[in-house]
Amino acid sequence: MKGCLISQAPLFVQGGAEKMLQTRRSFLSGAGAGLLTFSLGGCKVEMTPGEARRQQASYSILNAEEVRVLDALAETLLPGAAAAGMAHFIDHQLAAAPGRQLLMIKYLGVDPPFSAFYQAGLTALNVYSKTRYGQPFPAIDPAQAHELVTTISQENPAGWEGAPAPFFYFVLRNDAVDVLYGTRAGIEGLGIPYMAHIEPATPW
Amino acid sequence: MNQDRSDTGADSTDVIIVGSGAAGSALAARLAEGGKKIVILEAGPDRSNKDLISSQIWARRLKWSGPPVIETGNDKIGHIFNTGYGVGGSALHHFGVWPRLHPEDFNSFSSYERGLDWPIAYEDLKPWYDQVQQEVGISGDAEQETWRPDGAPYPMGPVPVFAQGHVIKRGFDTLGIKTAPLPLAITTRPYNGRPACIWDGWCDAGCPTGALANPLTVYLPKAKTAGAILTTNATVTRILTTRDGTLATGVEYAGENGSRKQLLARVVVLAAFSVQNPRLLLASASEKHPNGLANSSDCVGRYIMTHPAGSIYGLFDDETLSYLGAVGGQLLSQDGYDKLTHRDKGAFGSYQWMIAQAVKPNDLLGIGLTRPDLFGSKLQAFMERAIRGFATMTAVAEDLPDTNNRLILADEKDHLGVPLAKVTHTTHPESKALWQAVMDEGQAIFKAAGAQAIWTGPQAPMHIMGGTIMGSNPMTSVTNSFGQTHDIPNLVIAGPGLFPTSGGVNPTYTVHALAMRTSRHLLDNWNVLTA
Repeated sequence: MKGCLISQAPLFVQGGAEKMLQTRRSFLSGAGAGLLTFSLGGCKVEMTPGEARRQQASYSILNAEEVRVLDALAETLLPGAAAAGMAHFIDHQLAAAPGRQLLMIKYLGVDPPFSAFYQAGLTALNVYSKTRYGQPFPAIDPAQAHELVTTISQENPAGWEGAPAPFFYFVLRNDAVDVLYGTRAGIEGLGIPYMAHIEPATPW
Repeated sequence: MNQDRSDTGADSTDVIIVGSGAAGSALAARLAEGGKKIVILEAGPDRSNKDLISSQIWARRLKWSGPPVIETGNDKIGHIFNTGYGVGGSALHHFGVWPRLHPEDFNSFSSYERGLDWPIAYEDLKPWYDQVQQEVGISGDAEQETWRPDGAPYPMGPVPVFAQGHVIKRGFDTLGIKTAPLPLAITTRPYNGRPACIWDGWCDAGCPTGALANPLTVYLPKAKTAGAILTTNATVTRILTTRDGTLATGVEYAGENGSRKQLLARVVVLAAFSVQNPRLLLASASEKHPNGLANSSDCVGRYIMTHPAGSIYGLFDDETLSYLGAVGGQLLSQDGYDKLTHRDKGAFGSYQWMIAQAVKPNDLLGIGLTRPDLFGSKLQAFMERAIRGFATMTAVAEDLPDTNNRLILADEKDHLGVPLAKVTHTTHPESKALWQAVMDEGQAIFKAAGAQAIWTGPQAPMHIMGGTIMGSNPMTSVTNSFGQTHDIPNLVIAGPGLFPTSGGVNPTYTVHALAMRTSRHLLDNWNVLTA
């Protein structure tokens, strides 16, 4: 929205050269931390995917129910992936032009656009959860979620619609690895150096 | 000026090169330096070093994003992962592993009644390997490579061996299997104005420092300096010929906005990789060439190959520092390169081990994907353990050519109206047996190295070759040894699509050597060729 771009890392502040330098450092730090543009309260706001999740920034492709299922699935697949912004990561990529999408599914024999793959899988997961446990996936307890994901990682449950369940598991699991371990924060969090030649301005 | 106006009003040049990857950029450099006017038409976007962002996520932008390729067969070719998109092509994200083919790779059928013979011998390529090696700068240790074919020693010392390499080497040493430093087109010292590599494992994301010899670093700058023009977002849709179909006259291409243009030339070179080259030939069928250009042999699109690759993974008590080094690896073993090494297991073909690849946590080759069965807290625990003691090596096995592994045109068309490529590939049973035998060997090596846990990855397609094979017989091949099509001599093919057999080594070095040989031939025979 024109005139509404807000950065969480201020680009300009009042003051002398030293403050400008600090601001420059802040900007670079913010860029390294991965600021993306999200819609919040009708404004375009730059923030990290994790902040976007905390501030409930809106989504471009996924609806609210799909986001709830995806958040729950992310946390089951890899604890911390939901908080790292997996739902915003996927939504952000699905909204990008096909040639600029950075999802790993690109390699895996599915032609873009990939929205149908994700949305059908999330719906199928929720339907299966209701069939098996009588509740949608976000409402079942962690042990049930683990059992359910174990099942879909190995076979197509009866009535499953969309891409094969093990393939859906495979793709989403690796999205979770991307989000949690594929960024500077993730790599350094594992205790190894990132060593960028060219630092990505955003994590994705 | 690289383009003139023809009698018909269309622009014209000496040579059109379709594609700006390894083959196209090398040919462009040499032909432009030879005084020819060159226009490179690249279907994808422009790329520069600033696009080579250190991130396995961002690296996916460098992979194929053009029209879909329909893949069938039991062992698909992995087109998107193995192919590039934009300036630099696949070579922009290649790992820089540059071993030579061996003499026995060139006469596989004559010697073993397997595969196809090349129309040339190793000796024909040797001087070009040597020339490219000096120009590009390959690091290695020729003396330690006891299996290495005759050739000049490497101009740079080898890649350093980090902890992961030492750990795995224990297994090879215990079993008496020789290893040597991996020959890499990566600098180990400042070379021709390029800095030395700092071994941070970002090769797959594209090397922006100039240490790895991708087209942006070596041959495209040479080509541009010599006057070659690079036009991006220019998708060739058809090859044009004379009315009688005996000569190529140029190409039709679509610009970024889809508008069609024609560019005429005295020589047309297809260097758009092993899938788009045959697709374009078939899609350019005409009254004189109803089955596609250069296809009187019915060989266009046939003998598509992809190395069946396989990875061994292990967890060690040692700190392996597996994030250090080059993505291609640190050590090489071609001790079992003899095509009959695993004959007792029903296998045929050559293979090599690329040992101790630098790995990142994520992406298709990352640590996280080596155990796709794990999720939740077990995945977390695995990642924390593996980041300290993970080690891996990858086998590249020969893929025997099969006429039924082929590319045809699909009924579906892309947005420009060109039929999509449909590629069928099923690994030859003897190649599959080789892959299995090698996987067994690899696990034994890791066991001997002291791994606490050992597991393997699936058969994976690595590199794409064939589809426009060279040969002596116009009835059974598409081009001669210089890449000139038998049917249309001023229509030339470049790249790994020319390979009649794959050997068991990475193809990029051979692609360069062939391109150098072809460019010399074109320059020496220019007047005859364009009479």
